Amino acid sequence: MSITIDGGAGITFPDTVQQTNGMTMTGGNPKYYAARAWVNFNGTGTVTIRAAVNVSSITDNGTGDYTINFTTAMPDVNYAAVVVGQQNDGGSTNQTTQLFDGGVYTTSRFDVFGQSSNGSNVDSAIVCAVVFR
Amino acid sequence: MDHRIVYPRNGGVAIIVPAANCGLTLEQIAAKDVPAGVPYKIVHVSEIPSDRTFRDAWEYTS
Repeated sequence: MSITIDGGAGITFPDTVQQTNGMTMTGGNPKYYAARAWVNFNGTGTVTIRAAVNVSSITDNGTGDYTINFTTAMPDVNYAAVVVGQQNDGGSTNQTTQLFDGGVYTTSRFDVFGQSSNGSNVDSAIVCAVVFR
Repeated sequence: MDHRIVYPRNGGVAIIVPAANCGLTLEQIAAKDVPAGVPYKIVHVSEIPSDRTFRDAWEYTS
């Protein structure tokens, strides 16, 4: 199926669109939308990006305090950032990875924090973040 | 990438970890991701301690 442009029906895409950067967008109802950016990085030891798309870098600001920087900025700040972290203590304490009120959340970057149940910052073994808009 | 970009932040130090496949050079990443007007250095990753026990006590030295 090819892309069709119809004055009345609008633009119709095939069920699967392969973008030049390798991402795939699949049709259907409701439609699926590819992530605008994602990253998977080690948050302990030597902090290292394992894999990423549309992320120029991550900033290690301190214990459990990271910033994810986009290569190409988001169109606005109404994007949905989903973050999750892996505990680094074998699961002996409650630990969350989250966005904080007061953290940076701009079209260019956003902050991610790892926190223990007592409120102190803790590193996450692995941090994963995905951004949709 | 084998290098990191470091800059002073709130009395401590921030460490930028570049993404290898982003299509930007280290200098381009520094220009974009280091806060404007803040000095920075590009160092080899081997210069960054892997023991993060006292991470918040690390300091930036020019």
